[in-house]
Amino acid sequence: MFTEVLIVGLSLGAIYALIAIGYSMVYGILKLMNFAHGDVYAFGSFICYMLLVKYNFNPILSIIIAMIIGGLLASIVEILAYRPLRAPEYRNISMISALGVAYIIQNTSENIWSRQVHFFPSIVSNPFVSIFGIKVPTTQYLTLGIVILVVGGLNLFLKHHKIGKAILCASQDIPAASLMGIPINRTISIVYLLGGMLGVIGGVLYASSYNVLSISMGFSGTIVAFEASVFGGIGSINGALLGALILGLLHSLVGFYISTAYRDVITFAILIIVLLVRPKGILGRYVEEKV
Amino acid sequence: MKKNKNIMAIILAVALSFLVPSIVKNYYWLGIFNLILMYSILGLSLNLIFGFTNLLSVGHAAFYGIGAYTTAILLTRYNFSFFPALILSGLVAVFFSLILSISTSRVRGDYFTVITIVFGEIFRLVMQNWVSFSNGAVGIVGIPAPQFFSWRIISEKDFYFLGLVIFWFTYITLNLLVNSKFGRAFIAIREDELAASAMGVHTVMYKILSFSIGVFYAGLAGSYYAVYNTAIAPSSFTLDESCLIIIMIVLGGIGNLTATIPGVIIMLVATEAFRPLYHYRLLMIGLIMVVLLVRYPYGILGIFNKITSMRKKYIYRKV
Repeated sequence: MFTEVLIVGLSLGAIYALIAIGYSMVYGILKLMNFAHGDVYAFGSFICYMLLVKYNFNPILSIIIAMIIGGLLASIVEILAYRPLRAPEYRNISMISALGVAYIIQNTSENIWSRQVHFFPSIVSNPFVSIFGIKVPTTQYLTLGIVILVVGGLNLFLKHHKIGKAILCASQDIPAASLMGIPINRTISIVYLLGGMLGVIGGVLYASSYNVLSISMGFSGTIVAFEASVFGGIGSINGALLGALILGLLHSLVGFYISTAYRDVITFAILIIVLLVRPKGILGRYVEEKV
Repeated sequence: MKKNKNIMAIILAVALSFLVPSIVKNYYWLGIFNLILMYSILGLSLNLIFGFTNLLSVGHAAFYGIGAYTTAILLTRYNFSFFPALILSGLVAVFFSLILSISTSRVRGDYFTVITIVFGEIFRLVMQNWVSFSNGAVGIVGIPAPQFFSWRIISEKDFYFLGLVIFWFTYITLNLLVNSKFGRAFIAIREDELAASAMGVHTVMYKILSFSIGVFYAGLAGSYYAVYNTAIAPSSFTLDESCLIIIMIVLGGIGNLTATIPGVIIMLVATEAFRPLYHYRLLMIGLIMVVLLVRYPYGILGIFNKITSMRKKYIYRKV
């Protein structure tokens, strides 16, 4: 049984990772807590749901369309609501504007798809596979595979592609990066686009492994993304991945062996303890403050 | 001269506010006034923490909830009278904030925000699941009406007066505080924590002080809410509620106590005014927030300063 719980936890963590990486990237570049992140991915997942169930699209095609819409939505939000407030003295205020955007998206999707919980069809035909005698839903293996691909690809993209390098530069120092000729506005839009797209994959995978989809997933997704990136050290992609995997394991282990009701309380308490020991998260480096 | 003028204005405002129930007889409007008073107390106290000391606490609803639960439990199970329970509610909230401060003294900036969010969620989940203590998701019902000598506080009008007393107490004491040595230390921390510590401000102590003082008033507001509503449940103290309080003070203008009140009024009146548009209410509120803040990042205060062209006086800039 333990192995099954472990694999479920890892794949849950992998889904969290997809949501958390986008969140953490945005934080890394703008130091902005994007409260609208969860609602953007919930919106994208609903688009995928609509295409799959109502219009009987091919699963892969509908995921791709949903990803594009989710990514575009994230960058439109950035242009309209965050860009005017990008100055450092408005940092806290842009967080509130993000919250306003979260309300707008949440309410819009509520009016389109209603608040109830929807049944989300599984995107794979064969629900269970058994490898080495352990029977686990196929989507969970699929999730693990997709996450390994995405994180690997993202790391390569950031290290070797021109735009990826621009993102890394901008996350270190925006004014210096713009002095070096990096188009800051475009780079930030791309970060939001990527974050939205990754979030939508995570949302669709979550919905299809648990067969449920609801509006409230958005806000809880924001919290999960937040928790995971803080666990690992906010701002770094590998930190978000590590944090999300730990969080997924904790959720499944605590939920299975201790108590479902207190699952979140226990993980939150562990988070506080981690922050006490390592105030910048597990992989976070302590940066000396300069005057 | 200016100080005397301010004192006169406050005395006038206090006198006028006590006359309101003799003009407004409608209980619906009095109910809204009561909510405005309660959220003003919450907003003022959070403005001390966030607007003056730059500690973004997203767990204010938890402290407000701690106050509410303290009063509810003391009144229904231990037959306390209201006023000791009111003070104890504030103190219990302070006690929890001090426990939290052990962790917050080590972390800073956004990690402080994380810890307050997490604390708020822990509070809500524990209240929801610890049925023997808090009666779970149903909450505590039948909280008795407070009694002050022969004055039994039961109608909207009575609660208006009670809320008003707590509100003016909050407003005046907080104004005295931010204009004192402590307030200047808080502002120094907001402007530049490193510079403040270099100038000899004990930043950790002052941050804990600001946080626990703000939380005390949140406990009072919670206590007021418990007796006013006569029933409390964990669903009233969610993360959304904490966000609502932050929205109010940001719409009003952070770092100015008086500006909090128009922010509170706008949010509550908008909530009421958009009630007929039930399905689109959150959308309208979100639109107001985004449009107003993108145009005027300092909220109502920003508009006001632009009109009176006193902008230079309040805007602070960091490089």
